[in-house]
Parts: sequence; structure tokens; C-alpha cells
Amino acid sequence: MRVFLLSFGLALGLGVTLPAVTLAQSAGPLRIEITEGVIEPLPVAVPDFVAETPAAAALAAEISRLVVADLTGTGLFREVPREAFISRVDSFSAPVQFPDWKAINAQALVTGAVSASGGQITVKFRLHDVFAGQELGSGLQFNGTEAGWRRIAHKVADVVYSRITGEGGYFDSRVVHVAETGGKADRKKRLAIMDYDGANVQYLTDSASIVLAPRFSPSGDRILYTSYESGFPRIYVLDVASVGRRELAIPQGEMAFSPRFGPDGRTVVFSLTQGGNTDLWAMDITGAGARRLTNAPSIETAPSFSPDGGRIVFESDRSGTQQLYVMPASGGEPQRISFGQGRYGTPVWSPRGDLIAFTKQNNGRFHIGVMRLDGSEERLLTASFLDESPTWAPNGRVIMFTRETQGAGGESSLYSVDISGRNLKRVATAGASSDPAWSPLQP
Amino acid sequence: MRAGRVWTAKGTEAVAPQPHIGHIVSGAGHLGLIGWMLFGGAFAPAPEPFDVTEVAVISGTEFAAMVASAGAPAVTADVAPPVAPVETAVTPPVPPVVETRPQPRSDPTPAEPPPAEASPAPPQPTAELTEEAPVIASPVQDVVVLAPERSTRPVPRPVDRVAPVPVAQPDPETRTAETPEQAVTPEPAPATPPTFEPPREAAQPEEATTEIATEAKDPPSAAPVQSVRPKSRPAAVRAAETPRETPAETPAVAAAAQPAARDPVADALAEALAGAAAPAEAAGTGRAASGPPLTAGEKDALRVAVQACWNVGALSTDALRVTVTVAVQLDEGGRPLSGSIRMLGFEGGSDAAARQAFDTARRAISRCGASGFDLPRDKYDQWRDIEMVFNPEKMRIK
Repeated sequence: MRVFLLSFGLALGLGVTLPAVTLAQSAGPLRIEITEGVIEPLPVAVPDFVAETPAAAALAAEISRLVVADLTGTGLFREVPREAFISRVDSFSAPVQFPDWKAINAQALVTGAVSASGGQITVKFRLHDVFAGQELGSGLQFNGTEAGWRRIAHKVADVVYSRITGEGGYFDSRVVHVAETGGKADRKKRLAIMDYDGANVQYLTDSASIVLAPRFSPSGDRILYTSYESGFPRIYVLDVASVGRRELAIPQGEMAFSPRFGPDGRTVVFSLTQGGNTDLWAMDITGAGARRLTNAPSIETAPSFSPDGGRIVFESDRSGTQQLYVMPASGGEPQRISFGQGRYGTPVWSPRGDLIAFTKQNNGRFHIGVMRLDGSEERLLTASFLDESPTWAPNGRVIMFTRETQGAGGESSLYSVDISGRNLKRVATAGASSDPAWSPLQP
Repeated sequence: MRAGRVWTAKGTEAVAPQPHIGHIVSGAGHLGLIGWMLFGGAFAPAPEPFDVTEVAVISGTEFAAMVASAGAPAVTADVAPPVAPVETAVTPPVPPVVETRPQPRSDPTPAEPPPAEASPAPPQPTAELTEEAPVIASPVQDVVVLAPERSTRPVPRPVDRVAPVPVAQPDPETRTAETPEQAVTPEPAPATPPTFEPPREAAQPEEATTEIATEAKDPPSAAPVQSVRPKSRPAAVRAAETPRETPAETPAVAAAAQPAARDPVADALAEALAGAAAPAEAAGTGRAASGPPLTAGEKDALRVAVQACWNVGALSTDALRVTVTVAVQLDEGGRPLSGSIRMLGFEGGSDAAARQAFDTARRAISRCGASGFDLPRDKYDQWRDIEMVFNPEKMRIK
């Protein structure tokens, strides 16, 4: 009997309360929270751009192919196979048949047109959000020379990338690096510059002397690098356009190396060895105002400015092992930020200012990693026999670095990796390469 | 036992021979036993083999007699086409084949003038070497073509690495398979040419898989972070689904199956919960006109459906810090009404980042809702207007 009463009470209670809940729920719209999604390349369709003049037919195809290569090379996009296309794009101004592109699951569609005359080309394009059935941003047009068609294609891809991801692009950028020839015992090195994807290689120096660690200026028009031209490591600045160079007027010392521009494009920070002790120095590019930033019996090197120019991250062995430190750009007490096992070196401040990339050596292996500015959230992105010299893409999303293979026949090559650790891939270069430095986006 | 007593009575010297003789006796006994087992037929197998030998014995004259007398022609006509090419010259034990041979052989000789019948007949290859030069050539080609093409297909399949995420892999394969399957089915038919062309067509659809393979170039190696997130997602979701659905369904089923034997408290709870959690069944029992609320399982199904299309892979790190709330209105088929998807608000980032986050959320709703979310129509009032909160906290790069 007691059980019956209890059950009756429960049923009654629930019968009373549940309708109340129901009413409360029906009062507002259904609300759900999505907390987990998927990470996969976004399907994008890029039909060949329409050639609006007969001379542009070949270029139109090449430009659209390069746009695809740029986008898919990021690992964030996947090209929808052309064989799957249902509708053709024969006219740039024709309305897009969104159902046809929906049917093949193309989430983004890039249409474009190319016209050429007298060595000049005009490329215009539109980006469409297929499932929204509308244009994503407005159409854009680029004018340039036929010879510069790759840059135009990179710019189209940059805009597409930026509009979809919300981050700046990095396709219309260049990379300066050390091109190497010969074996390890007799290796010739010279500076070379190329597009970010390895195209359009140009050599900036000859291989008469060893060159190291080139670094772009913030505007990308000059390069600082270290050369043994005089028999000792000295710092030079090279003008990219004229390929003219000069040695920086640096205070006396046995060695000067590891230079880097400040964000103002005038300040240079570098390592200078005097009396067997290596410290950080800063000065104007003209040689004026040289000042010592650190003063410790340890080795301080590999300085890198924060994007706002207020701080410098560098490596030092003052604690007994090679670690990373951050200090004000004017000097001052450094603060150690790396505390993991192993040795840390070659720190580089992200252009976005939120991360520091570094090289880590631990247990006989080298890693490229990133960490927060305070050293937290350390994340190792690669692991190999020898990975070093990270450099940031202009958008702070991708890191390029040097990877050297093991053994007497070991060779250096350039690799890039997303800061998530995905999309690790080798950068196409003509031969062995090392010490990459990524330029800012070209104007 | 008696012998033992006698030997012990003889003293210590006499003790030595005791085990010796005992061993001899037991050894002889065991040898005898083993010998009997070996040669006495203890391990002989069952009489099954006799059946086999009987089959062999029958084959000679009896079979011919049986075939000649019985209504064999009907049977042989059916069996003949498949058997003829294979066993032509070799096996005498199969008498039915013997009968089929003479028929085709008789055909070609007179059929030489009419080529039409001679070519379709399968036995041609077996009959005369000189004549069948062309006919033999064709089957050889067939075999060669079939073998390599089938073996090459499984090779590109490993490309699945990239495709598995959208689970679209099986689709292209089935599509490609549809064409060749039709070609495979006609195989039993004697006509050879149609059978071999389709497999060549199948090679073209493979190009579609080749393009998926291009994506496989992207992850060359050493990216440990990659697989972690996608794996955790389905696990968490299903973990949420199962516990909620089971309590809702189990009591309902139990109550229906054994109403009398149940605890009254459990019955009361089951009845009350069934009204709230499984109203689809109880819809006709007279609930409110506005319709019963969605069950937890139905909500989870909707959540899972949207999550499956919420691709944050291309989102910027800033946008991954934005939690955006999106409103959407669905039609009765569960499809988002065009223009109804709008951002109600966001938190955790800039306007630009929020815009990116909203675009991604909108794509998720549009894509997976294109064919209609799987929602109970009788509860349309409950899910016509939906607010979805997209919180990417777990999807951030860490």
C-alpha cells in the first residue's frame, strides 16, 4: 500500500512538473550548443578562368591552376575535381548556378577572367559562398604584366584565402635562403631569393665566401646577412632590387653575426663577440647609436624583435644550458621563458605577436616548436635528425625551416608546417637550401 | 599384492630384483597394449572413406549406363556451358562432360560454313587447334585484361587517408563500381566482348580517386596533433547519446513487455518518463496541442548532424576564440529557410573574427540541412526556430 502511494505520488508529481517544463521549453526557440566540429580541407572549385581575349587563353588556365595550387598547398582547402563539374563557366558575368555547385559539394567557388593585350594582363575574379548562394566579398581586378602573372595569381589566392579563413594570405611573398652546393666537406653557399613556392629563383651573391642567416627588412627591400668575406663573420646589408651590398659599421669585435631588423626598419640588433664574450647589441642601420643590450659572461645570440618593437627574445646559456629569454628592446633584466627539457635556440617572434617559434634539441633529436610569450603551451611541430632556423610566414600561420638529413651525404632542404603541426611539406627548391627567411607580403 | 609380500620377505638383497622384474612385466604389458593399438586397428578411422572410394568405382560403366538411360539430356544441357571449357581434355571421371563434348564437336565440323553459330559456341577453343587460332586469342586477352585492372584498383584505395573525414569515399567507389558490376553480371553469358569493355571504363572513374589521392600528399609525416581531435569528437557525442536514450527506451519496452511483474515505482517512473522522453510513441495519448518536446536523443541527433558539417579547419586562430550564437528557421522538411540564418550575438573576439565564425556556422547549417535535418515532423512547432551556439573552445589549436 505504501509502495502504491509512493508510486502514485511520483507519477502525480512528474505529471505536474513535466508539463511545466514543456511549457517553459516551448516558450522559446530550441537551443542547442555545438562544441565539437571537424577539421578538414574546405572543398573549393576553381574552374579555368575565362579568357576574354584569345591571347589570354593559356594564361587563364595557368593562373587558375596556380590559384588552386596556392590554396590546396595550405592544407586548408581541397580542390573539387574538375571532372565533377556540372555547369561550365563560360562568361565572367553570367550568373552562377549554385545548385550545380552544391550538388558536387563545392563550398567555395572562384570564377575569374583574364584579358591580355600588349604584354599587359588584367585578371578579375569573384569568390562565391556556394551554400549561402551569394558572393563572398566583392569582385576584384588586378592589372600587371604578362611576365608577372604568377604574382597576380598569388594575389588572387591571397584574397580568397583571407576572405575564407579570416587571416591574411602569404602567397605573394618571397623567401631568401642560402643555396648550397657540394658535399658537407666542401660546401658552397650563396644567397638566393625565390617566391614562397620555390619559383623565380634569383641568386644574390656568389659562392666565393660563406654566407649565413639572411633576414628581411620589414618592407622586404633589404636583407641583412652574415658573411665570411673578410675572413671573419661580419654583417652586411643587401638591397634586393639592385643587389648592391655594404658591410655594416659595427663596433670592433672578433665576430659579428645573427643580425635582425627591428620593426621600424632602421634598428638592427645583432650579436657581437668582444674579448671572447658574446653579447647582444643594437644600433641604427647607418651604424649610429650602437649600444650593448646585454652584459653577461655567457653567450647571447639569435635576437628577434616583437612586432611592436618593445621586446626582444633571444637565446642564452647563462643558466648553464641554452634557453630562451625575453627582455625589453632597450636592454634590461631578461626573463627566462623556456623551462622544458633540452636546449632551446633560434627564437623568432610571430608577426602576429602571439607566439614564439624556436628550435629545440632534446634526446638527440631536433624539433621546431612554438610557445606562448611566457613560455606556456609549448607545442613541438616537427621532429627529425636536424631541424632548425624557423621563420614565420607573413600571416603567422605557417613556419618554414631547415631540415638536414643524416650522414655524410646529408643535405639541407626547406620545409614548411602549419602551426597546428599539420601540412608538413617540403618546399620546392632547385638544390640544397638552408636558413630561410620569409619576406612580408609584397605590395 | 601377494608377490610383493613374498619379495619383501627375502631381505635387502632380494629387494633389488623386485623393481626390475616389475618393470619388465609392466613394460611388456604396455608394449603389448601399444602394439595392439597400432596394429589392432584401434586408431583406424571411421568408415567415411568408403564413401569416397565408392564414387570412384561407380564412374566406369555404370555411370555411362545411367546417363544413357536416365533423362540426362536436360541436365547436361544446363551443365554443359560452364563445364565445357575447363575440363575438356583432362578428367575421365566426369562422364556428363563426355556427353557434352560430342555435341559441340559435331557442331563445328558442319558449322564451318556458317560462322555465326560456330563462334558463339563455347567449345570451339577446345576442339581443333588449327581452326581456333582466333578464338583462343580472345579468351587469353580477356583474362589478361581482367586481372591487372582489378589488381590496380585496390592500390589507389589507400588514398582514403584524406577522404575518410567526409566519409565520401565509399560513394565514388560505388559509383565506379556500378558500371563495372553490370559488366560482371553478364559474365555468365557466353558473349565475351561486352564483358571486357566495362572494366576499362572502370579505370576512368578511378581518376576521381586519384584526385583524392592528391590530397594525400599534404600530410607526409610527423603530425601527431592531426588525428587527435577528429577522434575525440564522435566518442564524446555518442557517449552523450547512449546514456540518455537507453533509460528512455528501456523502461518503455519493459513496461510493455511485463507490466504485471514490474515494481510499481518503476512502472510509475517509466510511465511518467515515457510521456516526457519518448513522446513519439505517446503522441496519440492526448498531450498538449503544441506538441511534445524533443527528446534528448533527438536533440543530440540534430547536434551531431550540425557538428559533422561544422568544419573549423580553415578558421583563423582569432575566429576560433569566438563563440557565436546563430538563429535559424527550418521548414517542415527540416531544411533551413533561405535567409533565415542570422547571427544573434557573439563573444570572445573581434567583429571580423565573429564574421568568420558565423560564416563557418552558416555553412555547417546550410550544408547538413540541405537535405533536411532528421527531426520528427509531429514536433515541428518545437524545432521550427532554433538557436545554435557554436563554441569552438575544444577545437582550438593547443
